[in-house]
Order: sequence, then C-alpha cells, then structure tokens
Amino acid sequence: MQQVGKRQTLDLPMVRGFCRRSICSSCACFRSDAILAVLGGLILQGDGTEAQVTWDDQQNINRFGRLNNRLHELADEIRLAKEANENLEDAGNELILSDEDVVRFQIGEVFAHMPVDDVEARLEQMKEDAAKKLEKLEEEKESILAQMAELKKILKAKFGDAINLEED
Amino acid sequence: STPQGVAERRGIPAASFVEDVETYLRQAGLEVNSALAFLQERLQQYKMVEMKLLAQQRELQAKIPDIEKCLDIVATLKAKKALGEALIADFELSEGIYSRAKIEDSDSVCLWLGANVMLEYSCDEANELLKSNLENARASLEVLVGDLHFLRDQQTITQVTIARIFNWDVHQRRSKQSVMKET
Repeated sequence: MQQVGKRQTLDLPMVRGFCRRSICSSCACFRSDAILAVLGGLILQGDGTEAQVTWDDQQNINRFGRLNNRLHELADEIRLAKEANENLEDAGNELILSDEDVVRFQIGEVFAHMPVDDVEARLEQMKEDAAKKLEKLEEEKESILAQMAELKKILKAKFGDAINLEED
Repeated sequence: STPQGVAERRGIPAASFVEDVETYLRQAGLEVNSALAFLQERLQQYKMVEMKLLAQQRELQAKIPDIEKCLDIVATLKAKKALGEALIADFELSEGIYSRAKIEDSDSVCLWLGANVMLEYSCDEANELLKSNLENARASLEVLVGDLHFLRDQQTITQVTIARIFNWDVHQRRSKQSVMKET
C-alpha cells in the first residue's frame, strides 16, 4: 500500500478488499458493499482532483444502499407469496375434485374436520388475501426500482466511474 | 438532516461524517494508518451488532405467524361453541402418527407462556392476550427494522470514509512523488 509506483494495481483490489471482507456471510442482505465508492478511480485518471463527497451525496449513497437491501428482501418475500398463491390454487382445485362432505382443514398444527362449504369460503378468503399481498409487494418492488434508477443517475452524474453501483 | 443529527440510537454510536479528510485527520491527530485501523474496527463492531439484530428479527418474524395461528384456533373454537358442536380434529401424536380428538365445551384454552409454564384462560381472555402479544411483536419488529436501517447507514458512511481517507493518502503520496521528481 505504501509504494506509489504500484498504486494502479493496488488501488482497486485494495479498496475492494475492504468491501469484500466485510460482506456478511450469513445473509445476503449487505449488498450495499456492492455500491462502495471506489473513489480511487478518479485519481487513477491522473488529473489528481477528486470530487468531494458532501453530506447530500452521503445521504444519497445511504438511501441507495437501503433500497438495494430492501429489494433483496422483497425478492424473497415475492417468491414466498407466489408459492403461497400456487398452493392455495392447488388446494382449491383438489377440493373441487374430491367428493367428500367433511374435509380436514389445517389450522396451526391440527387438522380440524370442517364441512366443505366452510372450507371453500375460507379458501376463497385466503386466496384473496394472498393475491392482494402479492400485488402490494410487486408494487413496492416497482417503486423501489424507480427510486434506485433516479439515485443511480444522480450519483453517476457526480462521481462517474469512481462509484460502482452494480451488483457484483 | 444535519451531518451530526443523531449522536447515537439505542446504544449504537453514529458514524461522524467527514466533510474534509485533511481537516478530520488533523483534528483527530491521527496518522492515516491509525485512522483506517480505527474505522475498520468500528465497522467490525457495527457488523457484530447487525448480526445480533438480524437474529432477533428472524425470531420475531417466526413468532408473528405462530400467534396468528393461535388466534385462528381460538376463533374456530368459539365459532364451534356458538353452533353448539364439538370440534373434531386430527393431530400429530408422534412423527407420522395422527390421532383424532373431539373437543367439546370449549370454554377455556391453555396458553403456553414459555419457561415451562402453561396457563388456562377463557376463550375471550385468551383472545385478548394473544392480540396484545401480536401487537407488541409487530411494534418490536418495526423498531428493530428502524435500528437496522440506522446501523446500515452508519456502516455505509464508515466505509465511504475509509475509501476517502485511503485515496487522500494515495493522492498525497503521488503529489509528493511528483514534487520530488521535479526537484
């Protein structure tokens, strides 16, 4: 790190090294590492000046990081919600196919005996709730993507190549 | 918000935003390496707290659906009672073995309170207790999520500061080198 002559190869891996080491292995949530400013890039261009990071810039970077994390959480939640929707669909279909009067409906850990009509009504309600939940999650995802695109534009305009906002 | 808006949150110290690297180093009286080491340590501490909070969050996120299921059962019992019918349910006796239970006259339920304690409540009291537990759990989760956001922001600030100090150092060496070359 001390030899200026070798700086070109040391900068990026070195600073990136800071980022990589700090990635939390137990959860994929700390993706904001991916956005860590490799501000050395500006110096490598040789002009010797660097854009100063203002408090506003820092807040934008923070906000981008937060949105990125939320995006990853949402990806998981949307996957689960889609699975739940599919399961309910399958359950509904099975119910139509079966011709019993009493169905064992799972509540918690036990299977309660319930008449088919009650089960149908419950299932309809659950399907509706699940569909609404999925819709809300998709909307949130769209909004986050839009906000991130905005922030990306702003940050790129100020820092250009010096900042890396892509996922590795 | 101003850079020094919040000094700390629930025991987590805020990372101070550095306006100018040179001024920061001079004021703190630190060499580049010791400043970097200090910030790295801070980052590690933040990481530790984050892991703890994430574990708590996972716990709460598992607890909430459980409480909702309990509320569902209590509601079902009440409905059956109103109809005057007994509730017949199949439950797991052991792995892969199920048995049938007929639950009549369900005026009360037993709630597991943890610490090997189970208490009997009337259906209505059970409902109240479960509802308040659910609300508390949801409120705690919200506070926790707020803490995590704050923590991540501090981590980002610290990382950006590390990068800036490092680059400032490199910049300094380069200009010294070019000055030496010229003389």
